[in-house]
Amino acid sequence: MKEAKKYMNPYLGGVLLGLVLIVAFWVSGRGLGASGAPKAALVAGINAIAPSHTANTAFYQEYLGGHAHPLKSWLVFEMLGVLVGGFLSGAVAGRLKFKVEKGPNVTSKVRIIFAVFGGILFGFGSQLGRGCTSGSALTGMAVLSAGGFITMAAIFGTAFGMAYFVRKLWL
Amino acid sequence: MGPLIVNEIISPNTNLLIAFLIGIGFGFVLEANGFSSSRRLAGMFYGYDTTVLKVFFTAAITAGIGLLFLSLFGWIDLSFIYINPTFLWSAIGGGVIMGAGFILGGYCPGTSFCAAAIGKLDALAFIGGILIGIVIFMEGYPLWEGFFKAKYMGSPLLSDWLNMSRGLLAFLIAIVAIGMFWVGEWAEKKFARDDYEINQH
Amino acid sequence: MKPRLILASVILPLGLIIAAVPPNTTKAYKLTAGQLLNEVRENLQFIHPDQVADMLIQKDPSLQLIDVRSKAEFEKFSLPGAINVPLENLLSEDYEYYINQDVKLNVFYSNGSTDANEAWMITRQLGYKNNYVLQGGLNYWVETIMNPEKPASTSPNEEIAKYDFRKAASSALGGGGGDIAPAATELDAPAAAPPVIKNKKKKRVQGGC
Repeated sequence: MKEAKKYMNPYLGGVLLGLVLIVAFWVSGRGLGASGAPKAALVAGINAIAPSHTANTAFYQEYLGGHAHPLKSWLVFEMLGVLVGGFLSGAVAGRLKFKVEKGPNVTSKVRIIFAVFGGILFGFGSQLGRGCTSGSALTGMAVLSAGGFITMAAIFGTAFGMAYFVRKLWL
Repeated sequence: MGPLIVNEIISPNTNLLIAFLIGIGFGFVLEANGFSSSRRLAGMFYGYDTTVLKVFFTAAITAGIGLLFLSLFGWIDLSFIYINPTFLWSAIGGGVIMGAGFILGGYCPGTSFCAAAIGKLDALAFIGGILIGIVIFMEGYPLWEGFFKAKYMGSPLLSDWLNMSRGLLAFLIAIVAIGMFWVGEWAEKKFARDDYEINQH
Repeated sequence: MKPRLILASVILPLGLIIAAVPPNTTKAYKLTAGQLLNEVRENLQFIHPDQVADMLIQKDPSLQLIDVRSKAEFEKFSLPGAINVPLENLLSEDYEYYINQDVKLNVFYSNGSTDANEAWMITRQLGYKNNYVLQGGLNYWVETIMNPEKPASTSPNEEIAKYDFRKAASSALGGGGGDIAPAATELDAPAAAPPVIKNKKKKRVQGGC
């Protein structure tokens, strides 16, 4: 069997990621982010399907009131790029494969269920916290933002705290 | 002189195009470092794979110190870059919920997109979950609007709170980060698992 | 060598440098009262009408005249290429682009020099550079440039040279060579209309997740 291609050295990877961040700041004045993109897509989608609903619900009114077309946002384009970039890297390294990644002690089905559940929590939490790990934690730390540090501490602290209780999922 | 968009050296549409290119870079680096693997991400919290720690902190200190140097050379005006606002309660509350989501789902939004791009089905499930979670937030918005908007503190910097210069804080973070790298390497040896291979250069 | 060590040995010295270097002043640097007093006493902010006239004739692009009088007075008479920033609106955001920059040489002027001097003091206190005051204001300008006084034939060459220059300047600047009364009268402004103030608010970046 072909030996799996190795991943990049993490320190090198970190430096490269830091450089990507610097470029983002230098060109666009902002750092990276992720959770805003699915939100923008959802708002655009819901608005297209049910405009009467968006006109009457508090959140959409606030959001649409302040923005141009939601899909014309920096984050949406960035996440499209992430898809392409991830695919390219996977292709180059021969890691393109449909599979369910999971710990050795759970079934795929359980893993998928928890993935969905985790996603729901993360989707909700990222809206509440105004950012996810890329936007708040990574970018926030790079600009020394207090909010970024707080969010990051909360995310990692909670994850560490819960790790023991859900260890069956991964270990 | 940066940021380019502010000084109108590039147009908003070019900005979007560059966002796409930056995204490609971001996605590539994430995947190449194995962030497309949920076991790797979760490994951070069990010690058997601390790649997240290394990449994250290295990126943060590289970018942090890099930006300060750029500012020193006058190539960027730091007063124009976006600093995320601090709403104390929602930052903590959102962070806690996200932390739970992280350990249960094994991804965060950025990495899930990256993993989905190479075919991970659990990442696809995670993204589905994200969409549901966002819809829940949006629909029920009035219920938590108060909490969401509570305790707005502007966009303070940690260096302001700790009453030190940015450069000094960046340096301290760098020291902490480097210390963590040694802890990480130790943890990987101690908590290594038979069925998991770190597989990196 | 282990990547960690390479990284540490690069990042730590860089971090040390960035920590030791005083923070880059992208925030406005304010003068202390003492510093301002010193500058005021040395009268370094004044620019003589001769210099301004010279720059105008040469069409020096770095000159930016700023009229701090009211709009009505500005429209009645203004120096070529001047923009109008009435003193009470000096700190409005619209004009920050003009008074807080380090490319052009701003010269505040008013009828006398009191208002212009006030404008200078305020902007200097905020740390803005490149702002000056037209010495003597418009009144002195008219006296020296528009209506240059002919020196006696026994005056030193320097004086005569200055007079010649001013006469030339006044014709070039629409002064008619010496019969214009100070500010009160109408004057045919030279062909170009005062430049339109561009609303150059720097864009605020958007961001966040």
